[in-house]
Amino acid sequence: MTGAVMKKLPWLDMPLGLKIWIGLLGILLVIGVVCGVVVFAKGLGVTGLSHQIPWGLWIALDLSAISLGAGAFVLSAVVYLLNIKRFEGVARIAVLGGFLGYSSAMLALALDIGRPDRFWHPLVYWNVHSVLWEITMCVVFYFTVLALEIAVVVLESDVVKARWAAAPKAAHQLHRFTPIFALIGLVLSLLHQSSLGATYGIIAARPLWYNPSLPVQFILSAVAGGLSATLLVTLVVSLLRGKYVVKPGVLRDLALIAGAALLFYLYLKVWNWAATNYYSSLPATEAGLELLYQTSPYGATFWWVEVLIGGILPAIIYMWRRLRENDWMLMLAAALTIVGVVMLRWNTTISGLVVPLDWSPGTAFLFPRLSYTPTLIEIGAFLGIIAYALLGLTLGVRYLPIYPAADSVPAEH
Amino acid sequence: MTENVKPVSRRKFLEALGIAGFSTAVAAALASPGIAHRVNAEETAEGNHRWVMVIDLSKCIGCQYCVYACRAVNDTAEDMLWNVYTPDRTVTGQIFHMTRPCLHCQDPPCADVCPVHATYQRGDGVVVMDYDRCIGCRYCMVACPYDARRFNYSPRSDVNPYQPEYGVAEIERRPRGVVEKCTFCVHRIDRGLEQGLMPGVDRSATPACVNICPVQARLFGDLNDPESEVAKLIASTPTFKLKEDLGTEPNVYYIPAEGMVIS
Repeated sequence: MTGAVMKKLPWLDMPLGLKIWIGLLGILLVIGVVCGVVVFAKGLGVTGLSHQIPWGLWIALDLSAISLGAGAFVLSAVVYLLNIKRFEGVARIAVLGGFLGYSSAMLALALDIGRPDRFWHPLVYWNVHSVLWEITMCVVFYFTVLALEIAVVVLESDVVKARWAAAPKAAHQLHRFTPIFALIGLVLSLLHQSSLGATYGIIAARPLWYNPSLPVQFILSAVAGGLSATLLVTLVVSLLRGKYVVKPGVLRDLALIAGAALLFYLYLKVWNWAATNYYSSLPATEAGLELLYQTSPYGATFWWVEVLIGGILPAIIYMWRRLRENDWMLMLAAALTIVGVVMLRWNTTISGLVVPLDWSPGTAFLFPRLSYTPTLIEIGAFLGIIAYALLGLTLGVRYLPIYPAADSVPAEH
Repeated sequence: MTENVKPVSRRKFLEALGIAGFSTAVAAALASPGIAHRVNAEETAEGNHRWVMVIDLSKCIGCQYCVYACRAVNDTAEDMLWNVYTPDRTVTGQIFHMTRPCLHCQDPPCADVCPVHATYQRGDGVVVMDYDRCIGCRYCMVACPYDARRFNYSPRSDVNPYQPEYGVAEIERRPRGVVEKCTFCVHRIDRGLEQGLMPGVDRSATPACVNICPVQARLFGDLNDPESEVAKLIASTPTFKLKEDLGTEPNVYYIPAEGMVIS
């Protein structure tokens, strides 16, 4: 009797490694919740932010989580609009990644805004001239789309089917709208993924940001990063299950698309550097860069991490057939792309802010040198949000029909 | 009853409703004042004024009374000054004293980026905030080219030493979680005009920093009135504005210090 009851508890069926993993994430999640409560109780004074550097770790997390969720709109469009059914096997994991990425970003934003009780204000008090208003609206609507898309998967899961007989019918009805969701998702994503770059690119006050290529850099890197995240998760799941959860050929093609996006991104990035730094010299940009190099590591991490480790290296692996055929190399390339994409967000956010604003040209030296170090509370909340996303990913892949069984092929690891 | 008229199906009806709703929303968005954020002064409640400040760097002695007066009237915290002071030197090494309130740009980047219209420009050119609407996203702080904005990271519990012990501050303390900035003492301007006083002329209708200046290095007034002191001064004296290359068109004019080179 007790044996039968206990067998129903999914927790006990898990292998030891998974239990440890979930336990670890659980601990981080608790730390995150505690830090979150402290932030809500005491205000943002507990962060390392200042009047001159008002954005920091959590903003970088928002941007990164949203960019790594970009696989959802790309693959939804490829599968349900372009009707390339070959990629259907990875569409659902991309949608799950998108759902978790966007919800993580919203969690971070709820902590980061000074008045979380007024989170609904942008929906009511419109300033259509504000790029941040446009992003807020897009993210809210797109998150709704992602929730509907993920609802199809949840309704098809055994857990729900066992409890609600009409679930498959409801899932089928909802699934009919998938192409519409994909279309809306594509439009909204093309808007806000680039607008996140525009958030910085339109700020004339900050010479290191003011740049029309940032929106395009952001969306291209988001496509590369989102597809790489999809690829990495799929390969890790295949490794753990000892068999490919989707056809390996599909993964190689995914790598090619990610590689192409990465190359376009690098092309734009290097040309942007050449045009604004090398071939031209605007006094404000030059002074800003000089201060940046003197006071921070962001100049160095631009070349080493954003361009080389997070850009050129993974692009080579993705585009070179022999390397692409190797699953370990593919995982490495995906991880490096993610590092590069996240580094772009972090560097953009912080580098534009650490250069002090001078009131008139040449007076920047009058001001104290600025720096920003996140506090433990900020880091704790940051880890908690990441743990939430990884926990959602782990449980989602385990209990939801994310990878259709038909595609499975024995692995050759 | 006409039996042959096909009734509109529920689906068709909902479709039509959806399209109508969507187009209304788009129309409302396009017509909303967000796009035309620079409103015509003559049509607004603030009347046909344009409030400007002139700061004469050649007169300023660096006493910082304007900083203290601002703290007293607007009850600002020590690390959240609305009006700041920085000593500076000219290219020839002469010391001069730089002070800066909010510049009340005619094309304010902070108002452009605010997602909820919590920062906006009034018809008389003053850029003000609605503290009840601000969500604390701090995009305005990032966008302001002059570092004129401060965020309430923690709830205020400090004692303001510049506050007189009698009476109360003219302005309420701002709550935790919102951004704040210099308002050109807009409460004095509005109340003064109601009482038939002229800001910049009558002291009780004039910003505190202007009133207190012992050497009259700060002047305030209506640039739309050619007879006002500021209008005459700006017309007759070379002035400069901060970071004019950004196109923000500040409403604060500076008269250069002696020995200062203005390019």
